[in-house]
Amino acid sequence: MYTRKNQKDLDPDERARFVGAVLEVKRRGVYDEFVRLHGRYFVSDGEGGQRVGHMSPSFFPWHRQYLLEFERALQQVDPAVTLPYWDWTVDQAPSSSPWTDDFLGGDGRPGDHRVMTGPFAFDGGNWPVDVGVTEEKYLMRSFGRPADPVALPTPAELEWAIGDPVYDSAPWDSTSTTAGFRNKVEGWTVGEQEGWHNHNRVHLWVGGQMTGGTSPNDPVFWLHHTFIDLIWARWQRRHRGSGYEPARPLPASDPQHGRVVSLDEPLSPWQVRPSELLDHTRFYLYAE
Amino acid sequence: MSPRTAPVTRRDMMRAALTTAVVVGTSAAVAPIVLADPAPAPAPAAPRGTFDEVYRGRRIQGGPVPVRYASARGAAAPASGPGVEISIDGRPLHVMRRADGSYLSLVNHYRSFPTPLEAARAAVDEIGTAQLSTASFHHH
Repeated sequence: MYTRKNQKDLDPDERARFVGAVLEVKRRGVYDEFVRLHGRYFVSDGEGGQRVGHMSPSFFPWHRQYLLEFERALQQVDPAVTLPYWDWTVDQAPSSSPWTDDFLGGDGRPGDHRVMTGPFAFDGGNWPVDVGVTEEKYLMRSFGRPADPVALPTPAELEWAIGDPVYDSAPWDSTSTTAGFRNKVEGWTVGEQEGWHNHNRVHLWVGGQMTGGTSPNDPVFWLHHTFIDLIWARWQRRHRGSGYEPARPLPASDPQHGRVVSLDEPLSPWQVRPSELLDHTRFYLYAE
Repeated sequence: MSPRTAPVTRRDMMRAALTTAVVVGTSAAVAPIVLADPAPAPAPAAPRGTFDEVYRGRRIQGGPVPVRYASARGAAAPASGPGVEISIDGRPLHVMRRADGSYLSLVNHYRSFPTPLEAARAAVDEIGTAQLSTASFHHH
């Protein structure tokens, strides 16, 4: 049992050990496997096939297992390291933690958006982006997308999602807009005038690789998704009578039959069931 | 640094290029209508959703392709409708449909666009002058 902390509460030694473990996992070639895995399991709901990671109810448990796998890889390097979380509703300053030189480094420079500071800057030689959407080998960020400004989610926007007592609802995809905590956090909207919410919006705000199909290339991915994981735990605490849905496999008559994972069906690629992942305290605790 | 001495950034250049590209894009969109109007039997129009234009200095092309088979290992099933193929300077940009009919690309994975053309333009907005990677890690 270990504890995941708020990134702003890490001391300098904890920051250094987290960074060191991430760099070592990268050096071993394991990091890029995580980048590929995430891309491979990003299946959109207008396509055929089963969706486990995105646009589906298992958005939360799939990423919980994904984070656990990554955390184990870090702990093989340094058993004391755990994943920190970034509360982007509160810590929104673009130059304070986690964007400091001894942690994740800062914003990309104007023009080519290349990150120039911190341990993940290309010039440091430790962070080549080898699994990329474009041929550029350097990490990029463009905080707030200045060309078309986007803001980090507010506490009210997150509360709008956490306050929904329904976990998810039909059609169990990215158009589940009427009710459902899951998509209010994941953040898909329908209609041109809508922005994108919470999880999606943070990907857009960071910019660079975080906006694309290789988003885990930016280490902030893990801090972002650890907060998403904590949000799930907070929702469970708030709504004791609610639970993961769908609770049973969808009938063959349902258009989403075989395309989403219910409570006791296995999640690829680990074959773990959402029901085994509901209680995070089996694995770790959160310092809040 | 005063604005007067500020270096010209890529964004400035892109903004300049955009102004040009909008003109190019508009004429490309209008041209077929103008040409087709006086002709009694116009040649069959390009399939709906087809485009070929220069946007911010990049050639973007797109059009429908036959039904594709979607990704996730072991769960391949026919897509619900025709897919779309987009390229930037001849390199394929992977595009996926959402259930509401909109499109998202490998460059913009956390938002979607009403049309393939808008997805292509947004990808250029995002990558600037970069070339798409030809390596595929998506099983599509």
